Amino acid sequence: MRPFKANGWHLLLLVICLALILPVLFMVANSFKTLQDSYHTMWQLIPLHPTLKNYQTLSRQVALLRLIWNTFFMATLVTLGKLSTGLLAAYAFQYFHFRGKRWVYFAFVATIFIPFTVTMIPNYLVIAKANLLNTALGVALPQLCDATGIMIFLKAMAKIPRSLIESAYLDQIPTHRLLMNIIIPILRPSIISIGAIFFINSWNEYVWPTLILKDKSSFTLPLALQNYISSEGGTNFPLAMALATIMIIVPLAIYMVFQRYILNSISNSGLK
Amino acid sequence: MNSSKQQHRVLTLLYLAPTALILLVFIVIPIIYTLYLSFFDWNLIAPTKNFVGWRNYLTIFTDPVNQKVLLNTLGYIGLLLVLNFAIPYVISIIVQFFIHKMQGVYKIIFFIPSLFSLVVGAMVFAWIMNPVSGPIALLLRQIGFTLPNWTNSGGLAIVMLCLITNWKVFGYNFVLLLTGLGSIPQNLIDAAQVDHIPKWRLIWDVVLPLNKSMAFYVLILTIVQGLQYVFTPINVITQGGPYYGSSNVLYHTYLNAFVLYKTGNASALAILTFVIFLILLFLEIKFVEGRDADAPI
Repeated sequence: MRPFKANGWHLLLLVICLALILPVLFMVANSFKTLQDSYHTMWQLIPLHPTLKNYQTLSRQVALLRLIWNTFFMATLVTLGKLSTGLLAAYAFQYFHFRGKRWVYFAFVATIFIPFTVTMIPNYLVIAKANLLNTALGVALPQLCDATGIMIFLKAMAKIPRSLIESAYLDQIPTHRLLMNIIIPILRPSIISIGAIFFINSWNEYVWPTLILKDKSSFTLPLALQNYISSEGGTNFPLAMALATIMIIVPLAIYMVFQRYILNSISNSGLK
Repeated sequence: MNSSKQQHRVLTLLYLAPTALILLVFIVIPIIYTLYLSFFDWNLIAPTKNFVGWRNYLTIFTDPVNQKVLLNTLGYIGLLLVLNFAIPYVISIIVQFFIHKMQGVYKIIFFIPSLFSLVVGAMVFAWIMNPVSGPIALLLRQIGFTLPNWTNSGGLAIVMLCLITNWKVFGYNFVLLLTGLGSIPQNLIDAAQVDHIPKWRLIWDVVLPLNKSMAFYVLILTIVQGLQYVFTPINVITQGGPYYGSSNVLYHTYLNAFVLYKTGNASALAILTFVIFLILLFLEIKFVEGRDADAPI
């Protein structure tokens, strides 16, 4: 009786897996079909006449390497910014004593609940005034810190034995050396996992970049993909799917390497 | 001693400064400035702004388009709660308590779509759900049905846009909820099994109350993040149409600010959203207070 019941549940879960994954598989498959084939052999997950034509057309129409570089550069800027400001702030919260600490921490965490619409107009005006429209820095600058990182780092720091820090103090090791040579190496797993999440999120970012990056040469991959989607119909789907396939390789590769780290830190971000 | 205290203070400031500075310049001051703008009539470019008092706020509640958008937002919240909260919660309970193997595999697979951009999701679903030539439409035609043209109906478009965010968020919320369920002490579950308490009673009386704080956290997250996530498919697929039928308050804010250049209206809408999110934040703190005992600081 019991295994039979469990099989029913597994069937349901399998259906969910398919519903989540099949769209991606069809997307990749269609990117290797001609427009005609993609229509006539829609259900063929392995293309009958695989072709690189879409990728060739794509590389003629857009500067692919430039797009990838723009996206990579912006995501790296954001990730490094969030990691370094987060580590410094978490260190201050964990090891320094100051008045109003709880309130400052609370204010930092509360920023997670702020809708982007309430800051976008002034931020757009500031970035425009600073002449940073169409630059990666203009996209990155307002998001160089992230309370999620501070939360994760704090939790990891709390696990470091107090005695280790105290003995470092007794030896009069300066704080920045303590941070660089002791804390950061211990925190490596947290840094990798949250860094991977920051990078993936930034790689996929769409809303804020559409406001800042207007010039095609400054586009990131999501913005370029949006250009291939027409709401009036007539989207050349195999072409758009080729670009999307290029776009998902990087997050997927990061996930394959750091899957355990990433899932752990998602779990951690919810458990306070 | 005194100088070391001084040094301590300087270091504290130094370490907090980068975060504090960015939050001040790009979050705190902008919120205040948006509040200021919400009392003016402006077009984002003109050198002068006209003070109009509360008029922009009155417009939100009296203008039929704004009313429609607010109503849509409620629809979005309801749907997102079902799709992105209730369903992942049920599934996480099944995975935690009703099956005994493969849990890790499901977790890994469910999470995959949350790695991808919503622009990718929007594009793929626009293809799958294309009412004329998409695979679902063709499949339905073979068995004698037609897929309604959901881009022509606000309500159906909202469902479709929510499904796209569901594709992305499902695994993420599932992982969070599963973590919460996994941290329930096993001996409580075992004890109930020894006493032959039916499983659904165990879930209802023990599991759900014990997982309340995580569930509430995900519930709030679903609303706050979901309304922002859904912005991307709206902008990519429907641009809020047909006739504002699939717009929500965040998209309408963007539209007012950067397409219609009604900065005052946009600001008032933004402040309204901000206040709603603040209330949700307050609820989160109040309900999840139980966890405060072991807060990090």
